[in-house]
Amino acid sequence: MILSLVFFTFSFIFYLVTALVYVANWFVKKKWLGQIATTMAFVTLFSTSMILIMRAGESGHAPFSNLFESMVLFVWALNIGYLLMEYRYKFKSLGAVIMALEFIAMLSASLLPYRFKSVEPLNPALQNKWHFMVDFLSKFGLEDYAIGWLDFHVFTTFIGYAAFAISFGLALTYLVKNKAEVKGKKNFLLDRFPDSKMLDELSYIAIAWGFPFLTIGIVTGAIWANEAWGRPWSWDPKETWSAITWMIYASYLHARVTRGWRGRRAAWIAVLGFVAIIFLYWGVSFILPGLHAYA
Amino acid sequence: MAKESKPWYTRIGTGIWKFFASLKLTIIVLISVAFISIIGTVIEQNQPLEKYLMAYGESWTKFIIYGNLNNMYHTWWYNGLILTLAVNIIVCTFERFPTKWNSLLKHKPKKFTAESVNQFANKRTVKVSAGLEETRTRVAAILKKNKYKTVKFDGNSDEDFTYCWRGVIGRFGSDITHVSLLLILFGAIIGGFYGYKDFKVVYTGDTIEVPDVDYNLRLDKFWIEYYESGQIKQYNSLLTVVEDGKDVLTKQIWVNEPLDYKGVRFYQSSWGNAWDRIAKANIAMIGKEKEQIYSNMEIDWGVLTKIPDTEYSVKLIGFAGDFAYDEERNEVFSKSAEANNPAIQIEVYRGGKLISSPWIFIKYPGIFPAIPDSEEDIVFGGYTGLLYSGLSLNKDPGVNIVWLGCLIMVSGFFLTFFVYHRRLWVYIHTVDGGTEVSLGGLINKSNFVFEREIENIAKKIKGDTEV
Repeated sequence: MILSLVFFTFSFIFYLVTALVYVANWFVKKKWLGQIATTMAFVTLFSTSMILIMRAGESGHAPFSNLFESMVLFVWALNIGYLLMEYRYKFKSLGAVIMALEFIAMLSASLLPYRFKSVEPLNPALQNKWHFMVDFLSKFGLEDYAIGWLDFHVFTTFIGYAAFAISFGLALTYLVKNKAEVKGKKNFLLDRFPDSKMLDELSYIAIAWGFPFLTIGIVTGAIWANEAWGRPWSWDPKETWSAITWMIYASYLHARVTRGWRGRRAAWIAVLGFVAIIFLYWGVSFILPGLHAYA
Repeated sequence: MAKESKPWYTRIGTGIWKFFASLKLTIIVLISVAFISIIGTVIEQNQPLEKYLMAYGESWTKFIIYGNLNNMYHTWWYNGLILTLAVNIIVCTFERFPTKWNSLLKHKPKKFTAESVNQFANKRTVKVSAGLEETRTRVAAILKKNKYKTVKFDGNSDEDFTYCWRGVIGRFGSDITHVSLLLILFGAIIGGFYGYKDFKVVYTGDTIEVPDVDYNLRLDKFWIEYYESGQIKQYNSLLTVVEDGKDVLTKQIWVNEPLDYKGVRFYQSSWGNAWDRIAKANIAMIGKEKEQIYSNMEIDWGVLTKIPDTEYSVKLIGFAGDFAYDEERNEVFSKSAEANNPAIQIEVYRGGKLISSPWIFIKYPGIFPAIPDSEEDIVFGGYTGLLYSGLSLNKDPGVNIVWLGCLIMVSGFFLTFFVYHRRLWVYIHTVDGGTEVSLGGLINKSNFVFEREIENIAKKIKGDTEV
């Protein structure tokens, strides 16, 4: 319990610092500031990874079993996703948006009531393990750390969420920048972002990553539900909301190839999609009753 | 005009076809289904009427029941929207697929001109010192290494025209995804029509009949494992399949580990304390007058037991955890699953003859005399409960079709999102002091990737990197 919370506190502070450095770099573009920002992003990534590793050690199972752990997983995946994008497309201005999102996510994780944070042994429904992995790991006495469809489901879903978070940041920036471009306004802060066409393209690429991962997440969730409850799909609020977000992003993909819908309208759908993701993730867990009461 | 001369039904048919062939329809229906689905997550589905009355009041409950909003995902209008999407997919596929197939797979690349290469947004020109022939071989090798297929056109000693492409299958990813969605829908329909779901409360030793198949299932053992902290770790059932009176298979199941036999799956879905039977009861025979205890003993369920030193025998035949009596049907039942008012029914035999079968209560000893016209009475002191295993039975012949559909869908996504269709036109010609190579091309997605690739190919042609 102790070490993972120590790393959580560190990460919390690191994310704040990282966000501030990225914002500073956005306002006063300096090479050294950018380098510090990226370095800080790596430091926070390490620290976030340590939360997960420590948590696994403390709980004795893969760290994907409650809302708190899944929040850390989300933050971790978003960090990796952002760094990959920064490395590949060579611009750091979006870091200010993404790291701010990361900080908000860490803040909300820290505000979770204790019962969502505590280390709990797995209840019967959560004990879904692949037999081959249990057999293999039991040779080393590590069978408790075997994963199954459930862990796979959580992991892929959160990679999807992270990709959607990036697309959300990009779509918002696109909407602002595009408006300024259309009006012909100049603004040095907006100029530090790539042109709106590129932002649109990148937002699409993020969704092109998120959508298959969300789909795999839904499918593996159905496989798990089929093993735990005897039916792949039961219109539980979590399941229905996952279908809702899936359909919103499916409509985004179709909007992008339809005349009259690409551009701003598609970007609004991407924003709507992430709002649905937030509700799918938090709203359903806290407001709507259902089977999927873990996270 | 030709259009006017067409009969009305053809025009309506074309109109309907065009309606379903529209991508705007797809977007609008998808967003509508998404928003309508929210209703069913806010109004809890398939709850008893009282719950709606309590939560929403009378008029809203009427509205909910009238609109079937309490079972929304199975209404004709919800499924109608899903069906609209399915028809939309089918029509769009018919509309677009053949053209796409012909233009992409059966295409005959046209010979192009030197100027046309420079008209693409993605282009690059490099100059090398080598001769035309050498450059041509080099370019061909580089393209081959980059997994491009090539078609060469007639050139001459000064000019060379090559068209090449890669990742054409990526263009079919969307079609594969669409067909997989239909397959998933088909699997779900098959499961809905030919499958069933059932739930059984089973006690250790009981054999249950399984619908639709020629075997029975016996519960040999049920047990719960606990963590050291006292939380439940897992609950398990040991099941045996009985076919033609013979045991053919025994398997331990637990939550997340079902038994699958001949198309029916058995899941450990719940457990609980039995409300209509127990394992053992503690009873005592007493003297009514002197409140004297003759004998204190434990009896097993359903076993005729002699009370020592008396002429009586008793058999435990009934239990109610929360005793209640239904006057109309003359039946005893348990009001709830809680042990609020436990009662047992016993058969009392005197000298081998059944003389009474009274209900006796822990909380109200002596309220009904157990043995009529006698100085003795029997009281119920306590009991050892019995756990039942809640088994879900599920036959779903469509589920494997659904999984297959999901697998195809994911591969369809892979093709759609990560396999880009690139086309490249390469013009090589002799210039002063060497050879010039012009590359120009198109990609169906992600210009960024393509720009880099062309850059990369150009570099290789120049010889900056090893071929």
